[in-house]
Amino acid sequence: MKLDRRSFLSLGVGASAGITLSPIPWKLMDDLSIWSQNWPWTPVPPDGKATYENSACTLCPGGCGITVRKIDDRIVKIEGMTGHPVNNGRICMLGLSGPQLLYGPTRVKSPMKKVGEKFKKISWEEAISEIVSKLDKLRSGGKPEALACITGTDKGTVPELLKRFLTAFGSPNYLRTASVNDSYEIIMEQMQGVRTIPGFDFENADFILSFGSGIIDGWGSPVRMLTVNSLWKEKGVKVVQIEPRLSNSAAKADKWIPIVPGTEADLALGLACVIIKKSLYDKDFVNRNAVGFENLKRFVMNKYTSDQVEKITGIDKSVIEKMAVSFAKASSPIAICGKGQGRTPGSINEFAAVHALNALVGNIDKKGGVFATLPPDYIRWPEVIMDGVAQKGLNTNRIDGVGSKNNPAGYLLNRLPKKINSSGKSPVEVLFVSGANPCYSMADTHAVNEAFDKIPFIVSFSSYMDETAKKAHLILPNHTYLERYEDVPVSANIPEQIVGLTRPVVKPQYDTMNTGDVIIRIAKSMGDSVKDSFPWSGYESCLKQTLGGSLNKLARKGFLIAGNPRSASGKFRFTPAVINSDARIEPEGDANAFPLILIPKDSMRLTSGFIGSPPFLVKTVSDTVLKGNDVCIEINPETAKKNNLSDGDYTVLSTPKGSARVKVNIFDGIMPGIIAIPRGLGHTAYDDYLAGKGINYNSLVGPVEDPVTGLDVAWGIRAKLS
Amino acid sequence: MKKERIDKKFGMVIDLDACTGCGSCMVACMAENNVPFKKDETNKLDSITWMRVYKLTNKKPFPETEICYLPRPCMHCEGQHSGHSPCVSVCPATATDYDMDTGIVSQIYTRCFGCRYCMAACPYHARYFNWWDPVWPDGMEKSLSPNVSPRMRGIVEKCSFCFHRYQLALDKAYVKGRRELKEHEYQTSCTQACPSGAITFGDLNNPDHQVHRLVKPDNRHHGRPTAKNAFRLLERLGTNPKVYYLSSKEWVRRAGDNYLDNEETGKPLNLMKELQPEPH
Amino acid sequence: MSETDDKVIEEGSEETREQADSGNAGDEEQSKGLPTLFFFIGFIISLVVGWVVFPAILYSSKKQPVDFNHVIHMELVDNGCESCHFFREDGTFSGAPRLAQCVDCHEDIQTESENEKVFVETYVSNGIEVPWYIYAKQPDCVFFSHAAHVKLANMDCVTCHGHIGESTSLREYEENVLTGYSRDIWGAKLWNMLTLKKEPWERMKMDDCAECHLEKTGRKTSIQTQKDGCLVCHK
Repeated sequence: MKLDRRSFLSLGVGASAGITLSPIPWKLMDDLSIWSQNWPWTPVPPDGKATYENSACTLCPGGCGITVRKIDDRIVKIEGMTGHPVNNGRICMLGLSGPQLLYGPTRVKSPMKKVGEKFKKISWEEAISEIVSKLDKLRSGGKPEALACITGTDKGTVPELLKRFLTAFGSPNYLRTASVNDSYEIIMEQMQGVRTIPGFDFENADFILSFGSGIIDGWGSPVRMLTVNSLWKEKGVKVVQIEPRLSNSAAKADKWIPIVPGTEADLALGLACVIIKKSLYDKDFVNRNAVGFENLKRFVMNKYTSDQVEKITGIDKSVIEKMAVSFAKASSPIAICGKGQGRTPGSINEFAAVHALNALVGNIDKKGGVFATLPPDYIRWPEVIMDGVAQKGLNTNRIDGVGSKNNPAGYLLNRLPKKINSSGKSPVEVLFVSGANPCYSMADTHAVNEAFDKIPFIVSFSSYMDETAKKAHLILPNHTYLERYEDVPVSANIPEQIVGLTRPVVKPQYDTMNTGDVIIRIAKSMGDSVKDSFPWSGYESCLKQTLGGSLNKLARKGFLIAGNPRSASGKFRFTPAVINSDARIEPEGDANAFPLILIPKDSMRLTSGFIGSPPFLVKTVSDTVLKGNDVCIEINPETAKKNNLSDGDYTVLSTPKGSARVKVNIFDGIMPGIIAIPRGLGHTAYDDYLAGKGINYNSLVGPVEDPVTGLDVAWGIRAKLS
Repeated sequence: MKKERIDKKFGMVIDLDACTGCGSCMVACMAENNVPFKKDETNKLDSITWMRVYKLTNKKPFPETEICYLPRPCMHCEGQHSGHSPCVSVCPATATDYDMDTGIVSQIYTRCFGCRYCMAACPYHARYFNWWDPVWPDGMEKSLSPNVSPRMRGIVEKCSFCFHRYQLALDKAYVKGRRELKEHEYQTSCTQACPSGAITFGDLNNPDHQVHRLVKPDNRHHGRPTAKNAFRLLERLGTNPKVYYLSSKEWVRRAGDNYLDNEETGKPLNLMKELQPEPH
Repeated sequence: MSETDDKVIEEGSEETREQADSGNAGDEEQSKGLPTLFFFIGFIISLVVGWVVFPAILYSSKKQPVDFNHVIHMELVDNGCESCHFFREDGTFSGAPRLAQCVDCHEDIQTESENEKVFVETYVSNGIEVPWYIYAKQPDCVFFSHAAHVKLANMDCVTCHGHIGESTSLREYEENVLTGYSRDIWGAKLWNMLTLKKEPWERMKMDDCAECHLEKTGRKTSIQTQKDGCLVCHK
């Protein structure tokens, strides 16, 4: 049998026929097309049981309640907690991005020690013994005050534990990063006799006068403010926004009044003058519940007539008078201040003048008004035990100068860089940093970094590799708020006293430890009296004992209303001591060399505090704010014309503190002569989704001390474009 | 007697007076729907945002400038006759479809082969192409939801009105022995998150639902809103979208379509009348 | 006969072909039969390759980690399948039981079964979930609602899953090496590779779902397909 050509072809035809009638072509076609839809690198999220757990968000001071959606042991979504007094089911984009912070690449995954320029993973035992030996040296050398600590908040058990540690150790140098609340605390103490943050009853107010406060840009408790803003729209509550730039808050207000920046106090006093002149003030309140009215009257009648104020502020006289009348005639008007998100404190006379308006209309301690709500008072621990070393250390002067001469401020962290840089050897030898990122968020980044470079030993408790953690010699990473128990006292201008509780919704993802536990462990490892002040076995037992019976309720509901709006004890004081027009804060720099003024702009889409913006936030940033890695500045067409710039041009922005290459975004909604730059960009740490994008506003601005309080109240800086 | 079943028509009403442009809806959407992110998202042409907040200005000089934010999800257009939405009618792969039962325009990722014809057809730029494979940094894929299938390179994706939430809500109702959902049981992620409460979602055909009450759609005229201040984007294009907007500002309503200077907003376009020569 | 000649003949007219054929009268029988024979040889071989070898290569068989006996368990529970494969409160279906459910009874070894020993020692003691292979696992793009089928349409488990509840041993799981899908979804039996299907559980492809939906619900809400809507089963 010979396989000839014909037979061979037949074999082929037969084989083809057979293949056609077999599943091979059809099945293969089908399977290959499915194969092409399922690349192994496209993740398939595993399914499982969905559960929801209530907790608290700590990503900003807002104090929202969150409901965490889990699939088995994975967090897949964070939603607002329904029924929570702050946010009732609603949530902002940062709160929504929580899982990205938990699972993201910026986490510090274990204790780290800096060896040379690099970090080396070490064990918790090694880390704690390393700190203990450093601290022992300070105490045995009789210099316990060389230990300092910076935290992001001074409320709650963990900051209190740190404070307690410093006291037992013998250092008075517990510092906190500044915010608008520092100014408000001072004002409330001086005018209402209660050192606390005011609680504004916005829900029941009927006229809002905002001196540049970013009502819907993240001021106060952001979600509450957004909710209340809608409520105002529904009820027809008038909102007047006074600031040089058409921010979102200005855009959504009923009226936007551009003002020469830095003259807000003058405008407030001008409004007071109109109200007094037209006899529109609340005479009952002023006569019965206030002192110093006559001083104020004399002061404003003399120096703040509408004509004078028009010249200072650039606002038309008739607008001022109309605004004053509408404010005074409303039944529950509230005037607020603290620019943007309130990241920095403000000039004390501005705060005093604005708050005086609330008193002039008698809207203090009543529905729809301002309450002097004390922070919830549940932390009652036994007295700190101090040995001789501790007592001696505590008697030394505070490094920031607070307490030395009649200074009303609580903390003046802004003075630390200068203090260190002006000394040959850093007076701070060991620095703890917890819940703060001063190397990014303090003004004059360059000077701050120089100071931190001089500190021999920095311990960071950050969960994330932020700018300050990168500078640290030792990182003892905290659990994130989704992995730990911690009380969250809310202090964001809410009239009620609210406490939230974070809980371990998932087990710690990495080798991290609650900062509370770390402090207790360090204290217990110290040889002397320090350990005696820490009777708790660990942080959770400390929290349990502190909260007592409330813990169950807190754990069940996720929040607790510790107290209702409270009446201030003393009479209202229109104190002339703080209303002092000569104390107007001028921006740093020479007006001839730097003809323009640079101001920051805050947005809900970028964070500028301790937490860096997660990838979702950066993604939502407009291309008129960030393009590639270039930051866009906002200028008026007139400013652009004067500087020969067109939209999209690149130019160099210089201030007395630094300069940067920027892209021009021409925008009609900004006063001529003003440049606005977004806050929250220009990170050098964190991940590739954030680092290296744009410019850090703080690197272009320097601190300007308020002559009365010493707080850094710089609201901008002089600048030029070239 | 068998009761005539009325088809549902899920739709959204966004109050632009209340919207503050905070962007929560964008992130609520991304977090809910496993939307990926890249290291550089500043090229907005390839930045995938099912829900995108646009910034409108009245183009007036300082200090008369005004801003309005406009969130734009997929409009889930119904077209002039049943389900003739611009994208569905051009899809050669049956990857996008109009569901007469819910009025939702679906997108089936495994079916799509990435020709992008639908993107060209969509007048709202609501559709996005995956130019790259999605990459989640190591560990972050843990945050992905199993209820929405992650997409791959080479396909188109868009807002689904969080349809998986409808599926899950129905499941919950079924085990409780109910066939129909209550209004609050099916809400999109953006609606739930919006801190301003600017977004309302529900069945436009159900007179008890808030969305119906807010815009009073006229179904005889392709869902044209009859409530004051209500409008739709590119109304006169005939796409019959199911996303309605409310604004008290004329310039904002005007920005919603291409109006001539002498034209009034809120009036249906009468082409015949426009084209007729003026009588001499 | 040279190759060139052959070509001429092949491509020539009928007449030429006949001439050529008659010229080789002696080989006529053989040359007529051979191509047919080879045709069938090719045909049969490729059929065998297509129907026997190809499926054997396409599917890789995997043994279940523990050989579970449904019959024994069915005797012990009150509520049939739903005792272990239950609906969660939120309406989702739990699917294959988790370790936590099994541990209630199997904290320690109860019987002399070798399988139980493996189960307890490997999984229960170490707290590891059993990596069951799910025969009816649908791809990620599919949303399958057990609630709609079982609670709303009152369908029986057997309708789609067959008589697995009556099995004493778990058969091998066959995974498609190209797609990674279970063979039960894409055609468990050879004839499923054609369009034939004897039992519903033999194949659960999209068209099978769509066909049944059309038949049972009569819904034609999809504009494109005039069948049930895409998002009814997709996610």
